[in-house]
Amino acid sequence: MRVSEPLLLRGGRVVDPSQRLDAARDVLIENGRVARIAEEITPSEVPAALALDLHGAIVAPGFIDPHVHLREPGQTHKESIVSGVAAAVAGGFTAVAAMPNTTPALDTPELIRGVLERARDAGLARVYPIAAMTLGRAGKELAPYHLLAQAGAVAFSDDGTTVDDARVLRRAALYARDLDAPFISHCEEASLRAGGLMNEGGTSARLGIAAAPRLAEDVIVARDLLIAGDTGKRWHIAHLSTGRGLELVKWARGQGIAASCEVTPHHLFFTEALFEGFAASGRVCPPLRTEEDVAALRAGVRRGEVDVLATDHAPHAAGDKSGLLSETAVGFSGLEIAVGAYALALPDLPLERFVALLSTNVARLLNVEGGTLAPGSVADVTVLRDEAWTVEPERFHSKGKSTPFAGLRLPRRAVATVVGGRLVYDATGRQPRVADTSDGHATLRIGTR
Amino acid sequence: MAPRNLLDLDDVNAEELLALLDRAEAFQRDPSPRRTLAGVPVINLFFEPSTRTQTSFAIAEQRLGAEVVTINPGDSSMVKGESIADTAITLAAMGVGAVVVRHKESGFPYVLARSFPGHVVNAGDGTHAHPTQALLDVMTLRQEFGRIAGLRVAIVGDIAHSRVARSNIHALRALGAQTILVGPPTLLPDAMAQTAVDVERDLERVLPTVDAVMLLRIQRERLDTALVPSVAAYAAQYQLNAERLELLRQGAVVLHPGPYNRGVELTDEVLEFPGCRYVNQVANGVFARMAVLEALCA
Repeated sequence: MRVSEPLLLRGGRVVDPSQRLDAARDVLIENGRVARIAEEITPSEVPAALALDLHGAIVAPGFIDPHVHLREPGQTHKESIVSGVAAAVAGGFTAVAAMPNTTPALDTPELIRGVLERARDAGLARVYPIAAMTLGRAGKELAPYHLLAQAGAVAFSDDGTTVDDARVLRRAALYARDLDAPFISHCEEASLRAGGLMNEGGTSARLGIAAAPRLAEDVIVARDLLIAGDTGKRWHIAHLSTGRGLELVKWARGQGIAASCEVTPHHLFFTEALFEGFAASGRVCPPLRTEEDVAALRAGVRRGEVDVLATDHAPHAAGDKSGLLSETAVGFSGLEIAVGAYALALPDLPLERFVALLSTNVARLLNVEGGTLAPGSVADVTVLRDEAWTVEPERFHSKGKSTPFAGLRLPRRAVATVVGGRLVYDATGRQPRVADTSDGHATLRIGTR
Repeated sequence: MAPRNLLDLDDVNAEELLALLDRAEAFQRDPSPRRTLAGVPVINLFFEPSTRTQTSFAIAEQRLGAEVVTINPGDSSMVKGESIADTAITLAAMGVGAVVVRHKESGFPYVLARSFPGHVVNAGDGTHAHPTQALLDVMTLRQEFGRIAGLRVAIVGDIAHSRVARSNIHALRALGAQTILVGPPTLLPDAMAQTAVDVERDLERVLPTVDAVMLLRIQRERLDTALVPSVAAYAAQYQLNAERLELLRQGAVVLHPGPYNRGVELTDEVLEFPGCRYVNQVANGVFARMAVLEALCA
């Protein structure tokens, strides 16, 4: 990565759980690393540095989203690595872990390397590829885990589908057991999920909409945690949406099973009530649940039982979400609403916990650099401001414009993003700018869309 | 202000329902042709075949003087391959005043109504709603008992998949009746219990306590998807037959939205039972639909 000019972040509230630090500090970044953190570093000490005045802002180790869909290769009408990383840095993420449900699925070392090369060319956020758990995500044959990990895969997942065959899954876990990269489960039991367009409950019963029960998720959460225990494989449950599922994860940890879980902004805020009037804006897998589940997940986040927050950023082409429920695209664009949506759903969450859930804990989960601003560490920095803004999806950098948060006022937003010491997103001025790296330099431009 | 559409009965209040029933009865007393909808093109857009409901609507529309067009999307280039919004715009451009729509997916009329500037009448959407059926059902009950308030009405069978049951629940509650839903848990989830709606599993315990029994058709596909063990097993618990008719109170009536399955939810004795109001329901359908079309379009 090209070395850029020093950067001086002045006057912000630095929140770094890795150092138990929460105080007004200046941060000096040189040669892509955090050089120094001090109560005051004057610009005259580093005359070459670009200084940003961040009084009133929050300065945190770079946020890492452990669950996004960048749709490349094969589905670049929905999103590309270039548009996806632009969305990431505009949402305050310095890195994203990309799910392998592309076309073809990321199940060879060549494909993993291809994603990494495309991401390097895009030059904004870091991209950590997650490789398929089974060949072609078909749930039948094992993927070459060790070769995939060598190529740069940070985890394995057939996200979007569940490996139905428990024997295949168990053997996969045994084979990959010695690798640190975790297995990530998408938990929906096929026969219980069949045909379901929403959560089975009071709303589906009243509206006569085909629905799948929470049980569809819970039985697979339970199965996969038991397989994790049986095989000793480190395991992560993606987009947990039920209170019962969280109880199962807690039980597993109590048994000494290496289990972790994530929750999404939409599952922390919306319920099946979004389907009233047959609005098609709420279709997602796993489905939006009940008030009870939302409350349980929020409590789990507050108590530290949920390990990380994840957007499950699932962009779709501009096709409308105004049509029939059965024909509408499944999933939401999440990167550019995430920090605001989490703050909306969890207004009383201490900032240190907030940062840990989005940065420090994710770096640990994926075993990647970052998650800290300790001097010497990589200079990936997320700068936030607690100020209200309105979600306008048409302004997203992502190609996916569908989000149930559209039109809502969110209380927090990303105002600057630094990756490897380079300022790649800057909304401290009047017009937000994303770096244009097409010429090999990180030039901040207005209106990159 | 008159409502634009009839998509379901959940937002129609008692006063509006009673006004519709009064108009339906007025049409019944004097069924002569009207000019109420003269010159208004009305489209019957039936994605799912339904001889009964489609014919009933067509007769109602013709009696009000409307220009009636029926589209079977299966053999028409319109609708096929078009988005719902495109179809709505096309129909509006042709001057269509009202669309009567039936579709296999719950919510289809709602999506259509978002883009269609005229009136949309739901003639049955998936497992969601069938408001004119519920209207003709309560019309039949009111003619029988002179009122709806205070009645106890059992709805028996495949409630989970029944748009008829869902619309009747709204109508009966709005008009002050108590609904008792009866069926096995696979066809009647506990979640369907609500205000003025009880869930019961034992038909024989319910029958002596109600003024009316609405039977629902059990479709063959329910047997193929492990929702009930067999016709015989279902019938043993939930079929209305000669023996169970004996449990009914004096004066109680039996309704069925049709088409019925002899030997499944009912036996021939039920169709011959003096309290069976099946034929009255079919007759009332035309008048109830006239009342709806007049209220929306006139």
